[in-house]
Amino acid sequence: MFFLRELTHTILLHPSYFGAQLEDYLRQKLYEDVEGTCSGKHGYIISVITISDIGEGKIIPSTGQAKFKTTYTAIVMKPFKGEVVDGKVIHVNKMGFLAMVGPLQVFVSSHLTHGDMKYDPNASPPCYRSNDEIIQKDTKVRMQIVGCRVEANDIFAIGTIKKDFLGQIRED
Amino acid sequence: MSDDERMETGDFEGGDYEQDYLDPDTLNYENEDGAENEEDGMNAEVDENMIVESNAPQDGERQRTGKAAKPNEVRVTTPYMTKYERARVLGTRALQISMNAPVLVPVEGETDPLEIALKELAAKKIPLVIRRYLPDNSFEDWKVEELIIQE
Repeated sequence: MFFLRELTHTILLHPSYFGAQLEDYLRQKLYEDVEGTCSGKHGYIISVITISDIGEGKIIPSTGQAKFKTTYTAIVMKPFKGEVVDGKVIHVNKMGFLAMVGPLQVFVSSHLTHGDMKYDPNASPPCYRSNDEIIQKDTKVRMQIVGCRVEANDIFAIGTIKKDFLGQIRED
Repeated sequence: MSDDERMETGDFEGGDYEQDYLDPDTLNYENEDGAENEEDGMNAEVDENMIVESNAPQDGERQRTGKAAKPNEVRVTTPYMTKYERARVLGTRALQISMNAPVLVPVEGETDPLEIALKELAAKKIPLVIRRYLPDNSFEDWKVEELIIQE
């Protein structure tokens, strides 16, 4: 799910950047540092919307660097148990398949697929096949998240397609 | 104890109580009584006042939220730069200059960062703010350019 969150980021600035363009550089550095990162607490930080406060620089003794505490609003994505997400399959093996939902990796075990879905290792990209569905690399699938493993700087999710209206998404 | 006295005195002036209660011993005694009276259901207003007042002294003085503290509005410390501040400012600025920070005065062939820092200080161009902490942890911000420098 996507959220708009107020977050803070601390930037250490080397003295050689002091000068007229200091603020521009701070903004640029904030975008570089923060966008695309993931924290277990907040989720994936997709994009910075506004920078509400760039903060006052505080000199760190003995290094000469300045520390800026910036506060900004960002779009974050955090997966939740029970959430239904659409993704693209990137990897298929006999244990199950791995799909990407934006920056989030979702693993769907073969036990959490429909009963009649069988792994076909001989197909040219290996795939999961049932009477009316085929899941292989680059297939678009709809999954429900059944659990999240949250680490300090990463989030992994386990998904299921063993429910109505889940599984391959047909474009028609 | 003396703090309590002052606070309660102030409180009582605002309340319905008469001046007899200014005597600290009497005050404490009355407070305890008042608490017991609350249970009787009488004089609800008076009781409320007492509670607020007894809490007031500690909370009122320094309420600290999680936000960044603000510098004191009225500055009381010396307008002179102390020799310790001078040393720290010069050292910090010289370090920054040695790390390629833009120099704010014409260097005129000067190469020693400390010399350049001294020159900046003489020209009042050092872009730093001195934060003077007071014993109660509040602080005053003084720009280097507004402090008086003595040799």
